[in-house]
Amino acid sequence: MDENDMDKEGAPLFGKWGYWYLLVIGFLLFCILVFDFLTKHFS
Amino acid sequence: MSRPDWIVLALTLSGIIAYGLYKGRATKDLDGYFLSNRTVPWYMVLLGVMGTQASAVTFLSAPGQAYTDGMRFVQYYFGLPLAMIVVCVSFAPVFHRLKVYTAYEFLERRFDLKTRTLTSLLFLLQRGLSTGISIAAPSIILSSLLGWNLLWTTIFMGGLLIVYTVSGGAKAVAYTQQLQMIVIFSGLIIAGYVVIHRLPPGVGMTDVLHIGGKSGKLNIITTGFEGKRGGFDWNDRYNLLSGVIGGFFLALSYFGTDQSQVGRYLTARSLRESRLGLLMNGLVKVPMQFAILLLGVMVFAFYHFNREPVFFNQSQLKLLAHSKFKDSLAAVTSKYDALENERVELVGDSTGTRHAALASATGIGGNGILRLEDIDREKAAIKATIRRWLDDKTVGGDSNDTNYIFLRFVTDYLPAGLVGLLIAVIFLAAWGSIAATLNSLASCTIVDFHRRFAPGGMAQQKEYRLSQLYTLFWGIFCVAVAQLTYRLGNSLIEAVNVLGSLFYGVILGVFLVAFYRKRVGGHAVFISAVVTETGVIVLNILSRKGLVPLSFLWFNVVGAVGVVVLSEVLQSLPGGKKRRASGPAV
Repeated sequence: MDENDMDKEGAPLFGKWGYWYLLVIGFLLFCILVFDFLTKHFS
Repeated sequence: MSRPDWIVLALTLSGIIAYGLYKGRATKDLDGYFLSNRTVPWYMVLLGVMGTQASAVTFLSAPGQAYTDGMRFVQYYFGLPLAMIVVCVSFAPVFHRLKVYTAYEFLERRFDLKTRTLTSLLFLLQRGLSTGISIAAPSIILSSLLGWNLLWTTIFMGGLLIVYTVSGGAKAVAYTQQLQMIVIFSGLIIAGYVVIHRLPPGVGMTDVLHIGGKSGKLNIITTGFEGKRGGFDWNDRYNLLSGVIGGFFLALSYFGTDQSQVGRYLTARSLRESRLGLLMNGLVKVPMQFAILLLGVMVFAFYHFNREPVFFNQSQLKLLAHSKFKDSLAAVTSKYDALENERVELVGDSTGTRHAALASATGIGGNGILRLEDIDREKAAIKATIRRWLDDKTVGGDSNDTNYIFLRFVTDYLPAGLVGLLIAVIFLAAWGSIAATLNSLASCTIVDFHRRFAPGGMAQQKEYRLSQLYTLFWGIFCVAVAQLTYRLGNSLIEAVNVLGSLFYGVILGVFLVAFYRKRVGGHAVFISAVVTETGVIVLNILSRKGLVPLSFLWFNVVGAVGVVVLSEVLQSLPGGKKRRASGPAV
């Protein structure tokens, strides 16, 4: 793989980085919601 | 420790060393020694970056932190997943494309030699010292808890891993980290199972959460607005905002610019494998840290039904027993014992049924519950008195026993064999982190300094031998720093912890300018780095004196933003434009 090919290589699994941003932000929000539920429910 | 514990410990540690020697035996050149010939698959990159980040103290202090302060520490990692994407998009492809050995090598191609040398030097200074602490901290804990000789514990903690790290380089590090993480996770899962198993009949995980919640340990999400009258507490270390923003900058600088991490994902067989390992790290880190902290809450719930030690670090009580507080200590510990006996009896009476146990845990109704609350207040007062005595100048003790909580539970309550496994977990966690760092310290020394400044080229075989010698040198240096730590005490640990947060932001700023501000040249970024670094150090002094209320996580943000903004301003000046025009390009 030459240098230009490497630059053009897309994001792993989904091809586009936008999907990774969506996945990670969604995952973080999910974690925060679950943790917030645990914090409030058991306090 | 019993004989089975010693057998398990010896077999695990010698097995790791033998595996490391075996896997690294074919390494004979610099590419193999520092980059594992770029053959590592993504899941080993994942385990490598995780193993490098998680030191022994991570596994010792995190459960203790949840036990004392609650689980809010998990927020510290909220910025990490986003940082992983930025590292994958901007940092990793450039390092791979340029086929660099160290991250700082790239800075010379983008800026100039002085910027490369400055950042590499900051890394060597900060990492060399902090790795010494990584050896010292768990050694102190193990030696005082198990009565081991401190020198030998340090040599085992920081010295044995040198055998396979010097011999096999990055390949040995990568393969042993894989095995180490498997043992570590197995050990923690088994410890969690034992805690639940040893709770009274009918008391389960939901009850543990209720006990933790009602005692303020399940404070997983905090906003930073709780303490002050409506305003945000900038001095609060762990809350949602500092975790997402401060944690993002910290993770970005750590994974993007710290050679101990860059060296891990440069070993990947392709850019895709590097990225996949880093992205997966972003997804597993928060749940993993949550699980480790939850273990601390489980131990807390366990001690709700069992006698809790007045102080988890037994050696400090022995220190007090030989001080001027000897008689007072005997009086308060005897009172504490009586209170604990009464408390356990009260809780025991009410644990006949699951609901009664919950009632006692959560403080719902009954005279017994009111008495429990009184006992808890009296216990807290006794513990505070003991801490005050330990802080007394004539005693010179360590009043913080957070790091001893989990291991004390392990040694007191885990069955023979498992204690040895959990002690092995601590050693392996230390080894994984230290081995990767020694490899990266050696790579910076030879690539950024020796090879760069020594006149003439070197034969491949000589470079390889020299790399081994540098690894050995850094190993000995770190063990020596650990020994120095024992003499200087907590002040050095604190100083080195602050040192990291002082430099990380500025180094990140230099890299951000390199990647995103193409028009900025070497002179502007170098001057900005020096000026901002001075500013961050001044800010730290003001913060420590209480003149500026700012937690250390924010220093990373200040350092990074400071370098980017200042270099942009300097570059805009007439002299700056001319310099960039004649500067190097990547």
